[in-house]
Amino acid sequence: MSKYLYLYRTSIEAAAYQASPEDIQQMLAKWTAWKARFQKEIVDMGDALKPPGKVLRDGVVIDGPFIEAKEVMGGYSIVEAESFEHALEISRSCPMTLRPGGSIEIRELAGY
Amino acid sequence: MKQAPPGAEPLVEHAFRHEYGRLVSTLARSVGFQHTELVEDAVQSALVAALRSWPKTGTPDDPSGWLYRVAKNQLTDEFRKAKPLTLDGGAAASGATSPTEATDVSALDLGAFEREIRDDELRMLFVCADPSIPAESQLVLALKVLCGFGTNEIALRLLTTEANVYKRLARARARLRELAPSFDTPPLEALASRRDAVHRMVYLLFNEGYSSSLADRLIRRELCDEAIRLGHLLADHPGSASPETDALLALMYLHAARFDARVDGTGGLLLLEDQDRRSWDRALIGRGMLLLERAASGPSFSRYHAEAAVAAVHCMAPSYAETRWHEIVELYEMLERLAPSPLHTLNRAIAVAEWKGPHEALVILEALQPPAWLLGYYLWDATLGELERRAGNLDRARIRLERAQGAAPHPAEKALLARRLLACTEPSTPGANCPQTRGAPDGGTMTPAPVAAAVAPTR
Repeated sequence: MSKYLYLYRTSIEAAAYQASPEDIQQMLAKWTAWKARFQKEIVDMGDALKPPGKVLRDGVVIDGPFIEAKEVMGGYSIVEAESFEHALEISRSCPMTLRPGGSIEIRELAGY
Repeated sequence: MKQAPPGAEPLVEHAFRHEYGRLVSTLARSVGFQHTELVEDAVQSALVAALRSWPKTGTPDDPSGWLYRVAKNQLTDEFRKAKPLTLDGGAAASGATSPTEATDVSALDLGAFEREIRDDELRMLFVCADPSIPAESQLVLALKVLCGFGTNEIALRLLTTEANVYKRLARARARLRELAPSFDTPPLEALASRRDAVHRMVYLLFNEGYSSSLADRLIRRELCDEAIRLGHLLADHPGSASPETDALLALMYLHAARFDARVDGTGGLLLLEDQDRRSWDRALIGRGMLLLERAASGPSFSRYHAEAAVAAVHCMAPSYAETRWHEIVELYEMLERLAPSPLHTLNRAIAVAEWKGPHEALVILEALQPPAWLLGYYLWDATLGELERRAGNLDRARIRLERAQGAAPHPAEKALLARRLLACTEPSTPGANCPQTRGAPDGGTMTPAPVAAAVAPTR
C-alpha cells in the first residue's frame, strides 16, 4: 500500500466561473458520495487552496495570479491505494473529473 | 439548535438555492438592502466553503446556521475592510446597522427564526418590486436574490442571453445601491403599497414558465413553482395577504394543475379539448378552488379573480363540450373592463364561438379595431383562421393560418397550425367535418389566457 497525492487543477476560465447554488449543491453531493465510497482509501480529503499565491525564486517574490499559467492549482487530497492503477481507478470517479476544465495529477508519495 | 419545533420544515431539506435566497434576504435586511450585492458575495462564499468542508467533516447538524455564520463573518470582514472608504457619508456614517448586530441565530428558537426569515423574504420581495426598477429587471433580480438562480440558469429559463441577464441585473442593482439607509428595516405594512407591483411580477414570472415550449418544459416549470412559492410568501403573511393575492395564487394553481396535460406522449401540443382531463392534478385544482373561494370572500374583484374564475370553469368542466362557455364569455367581458386588452376580446370571441358558433365570434372580431401589434401576433391570425374554417370560408381561413404558421414561435405550435391548414385544403364540404374537427385556438389552451395577456404590450 502506498499513498498517492491528487493535485486538483482547473483551467483559468473554469476557475473564474461562478457556480450557482444548484451547481454547488450537486457538486457537494458528488464529493460526499465519493468520500463515502472510498472511505477506506481516502486518508485525507485534503484542502482547497486560496488564490492568489506567491512564488519565491532566487530571493524574489512574485505575486499571483501567474499570467503565463493556463491552469490554477485548486486543492489536493491524499489517497491510499494498492497500486498506481488502483489510485488511478479511484481518481476516475473523483468529482473533480466532472468539472469542466478540471484535471487531477496523481503522484505517488515516496514515503520518506 | 438541533431540535426543530413541531410543524416546522427541517432546514436541512431546503435546496441550496432557496437557502441562498433566505440567507440573502435575512442578511440584506440586517445590513441594509443597498448592500445586497455584497451580501450575495458573502452567501456565495459560504456555499463554496460548505462545498470544501462538508465532504470532509460531514454535514453539520444545523446546515442553515452554519451557512449563516460563515456568510455573516465574511460580511463583517468585508465591512471592516470597507469602513475607511464609507466614513464620509457612506453606510457607516449614515447609521446603517452593522452586520455584527444581525440576529444571532442560536439565540432564537427555530419557530420564531423561521417566521423571521419568511418576513425577510417577503421584505426582499417588496424590495425587488421597487417601482423605479424596470419590470424585466425586477423579475431577474427576484430570480437571483430570492430564488437563488445563477445568471446562466436565469438566461436559460427566460430564453435570453446571459449578457442580457447581467444587463438587467445591473440596472436593478444600481437602483438598490441608491436606496437610502432608512429603507433598511421598513415595517412590512409600509411596503404593502407595493403589493400590486409584486402581483404583477409574480404573474409575469408564472407566465414566463407557463408559456414554455416542449424542449424547455421541465426547467421552465420551475419558474411556475417559484411564482407559486413567492405568491405564498405574500398570501400567508397577515400583514400582506389580500383577496387579490389569493386570486392570483388560485389562478396559478389552476393552471399548474394542467401543466403536463398540454403535451402528448410524442411531444405534440395538445389543445384543451384534446387533453386527457384525468391527467389534471386534482390536488392542485383543489388548492386553487379553495384559494378562489377565499379570494371571493373579500369585497374586491380583480383581474386575477376573473382569470382564476376562467381557469376554474375549465377545471370543473367534465368535458370540453360541457364547458360553461357562457360563464367564460361573461368573465372575459369583466376582464375587458378590469384590464382592457384586445386579447380579452379575442378570448371572448373564442368562447362565443363554442357557445353560439363561429359567425357570432367573427362578428365580434370584425367589430374590434385591432392595434398594429395584435395584427402581427400569430394568435390573432390563428384564431381568425380557425373561425373562418369553421364558418366554411376555407380560402380566407387558409390565408390566415398560413400567416399564423409563419409567425408561431414554437415548433409544436407550427405543427398544430399545419394540421389545421391541412384540414382546409382537404376536399370536403364545409361544415361536414366541422363538428368533429373543432379545434379552437382557445386562448386558454394554445397559449393560456394569462400568457396571451402578458405577452401583449400594455397600452
